[in-house]
Formats: sequence, C-alpha cells, structure tokens
Amino acid sequence: MKSKKQSYDRVAKFFDFLRKGDMRRWNAHQKSLFENLSGEVLYIGIGTGLETVNFPADLKITAIDISSAMIQQSKTRAKSYPGKINLCLMDAESSAFRDHSFDSVVTVCVLCSVKHPVTCLEEIKRVLKPEGKLVMYEHVLSKNPFYAIALKTMSNLTEFLEGTYLDRDTVSNAEKAGFEIFSHKNVYLDIVKALMAKPI
Amino acid sequence: MSLRIADFFIGTLSGALMAFCTYLVVSPNSNMLLGMILGGLIGMSLMMILMVLLMPFFGAFEVMIPLHINAMLVGMPAGMLSTLPSLELFDVTLGGTAIGFFVALQVYLSNKRLTEL
Repeated sequence: MKSKKQSYDRVAKFFDFLRKGDMRRWNAHQKSLFENLSGEVLYIGIGTGLETVNFPADLKITAIDISSAMIQQSKTRAKSYPGKINLCLMDAESSAFRDHSFDSVVTVCVLCSVKHPVTCLEEIKRVLKPEGKLVMYEHVLSKNPFYAIALKTMSNLTEFLEGTYLDRDTVSNAEKAGFEIFSHKNVYLDIVKALMAKPI
Repeated sequence: MSLRIADFFIGTLSGALMAFCTYLVVSPNSNMLLGMILGGLIGMSLMMILMVLLMPFFGAFEVMIPLHINAMLVGMPAGMLSTLPSLELFDVTLGGTAIGFFVALQVYLSNKRLTEL
C-alpha cells in the first residue's frame, strides 16, 4: 500500500476537480464555521488551499500538509488570501511546533485521512493553548445503518485508493484525546459535521 | 436549490437506469435467484460508474449515499422481476424509477431532519 504522502502527491493534480462538487455544497457552511477562528491559527491539511476562500480576512495562519505536491498547488491560493498564510511541510501527528502555540486549530477532512486520529488530536491538544479552540469540518460514520453500510463499503475502496477512511468516529476520538465538543452541527445527514471543541 | 433538484434527478434516474440495464441482461424464464444475484451485481457496477462520473460535480456523499441504497434496493428486485415473462421492460424500469425517487425523497427528508437539529 502507498504511503499517505505518495497518495496525496499523486492526487494533487486532480484534487480541485474531485472536490469541485463538495466545495459547491460546503462553501457557505465553512464560511459560517470559520468565523469562529481567531488569533494565531494552525490549519492542518491545507491540501490545494480550496478552503482558504472561506476564511475570514486578516487571520495569521500557519498551514501544514504532509504532501509537497499539495503545498506546491496551494501556493497561489495562499498568496491571494487577504491575510497571512505560512506554508509548512509537516506531519499532523508529529508537528514541530512548541506547546500551546496556537489560539485556534482548524481541520477540514483531515481526521478521516491521518493514520492515527487520536494521536493527531492529542498533538493538536499539545500545540493548542489551554483556552484555545479546535474547529473541525469532518465527515464521520453515520449512525443510520443504511448509510453506514454504504460508507463502510466505500471506505475499503477509498482507503486503498487514497488512504481516506469513511468510517471514523471523530466525535469520540476528540473526546478520547481530551477535548470537549461544545458545538455540534450536521451539515449533510449525520455524516458531514461542523464541530467545535476545547481542551479539557 | 439547483443541487437539491439535481439530487432528486440523480436518485430517480439512477434507479431507472439500474432497472433498465438489469432487464436487458437478465433473460425472462431464467432462475429467479440467479436473476437476483445478477441484478445486484449490475446495480453495484452501475453505482461505481455513476459515482465516478457524478461525484466531482455533485459532491461525494450526496451522490454516494442514494446510489448505494439504489444499488441494493433496485438491482436485486429488478433482477428477480426480470425473470417473470409477464413483465415488460417498461414495468421493470418504472419500478426502478419509483424506488429511486422514494430513496431520493427519504434521503432528502432524513437530511432535513438531521441538519435542523
């Protein structure tokens, strides 16, 4: 099986095309969720930078990604953002930032892709200030058995193709890592969610 | 709004297409169990093709969920019904269309309830 980095390097060229439909549906929801970002922001998994148009202006953002091809693709969008975005090639599960460096951390469809989601969330907790905020826009496994069968079946394929899991329980994982979810909104069914959490 | 209308078209037309293709492949007078298995396989195959074609334009989950349910609920019954000599192509396709529309409606109502919580 290919590594995460190889998988994302491979799909970087087609990533914008593949996510076109999702972005048409998600832009408004993301704009509303990202209004909650403030101070020093860590953006995990910038990808090709599709979501940067949904960030409020004038934020100071440090954006990381595991794929150099994705970082390369995101440069134009990072430059056109009306604020500051610093790009770093880094693994979300073991970042190089000091403890309690950020006021907000944002993830968009990242916790479905990292190998160890709880480890990643523990790392986020480490770099987040104690009074900081974790903002997540993620897809999770549905509680409805009909939808869950579809997600579990497709998860085998997406895991093989690009290392993405469709059957993650991100809400429980966040709680396991020491976060308290204080805002929980379904965006599509109970699969795509806008979540906000704070360290306990 | 246009995407919501598209969701209904995707659900309904994919149901119709799955039933239509199943009828063309499964011959009348063949074994009903074999028809059911073939129908299921045709439904799943079409689901994969339609997903690849539609997901980039209409969103991954919004396409995946109804297509997957249609593959289960349309493919197998259409395969069984296609083995009955008394039923025509139109009847089986109409059945698939109705199930496809019902699935799209169910997903829409379910989404409305869950996102309004």
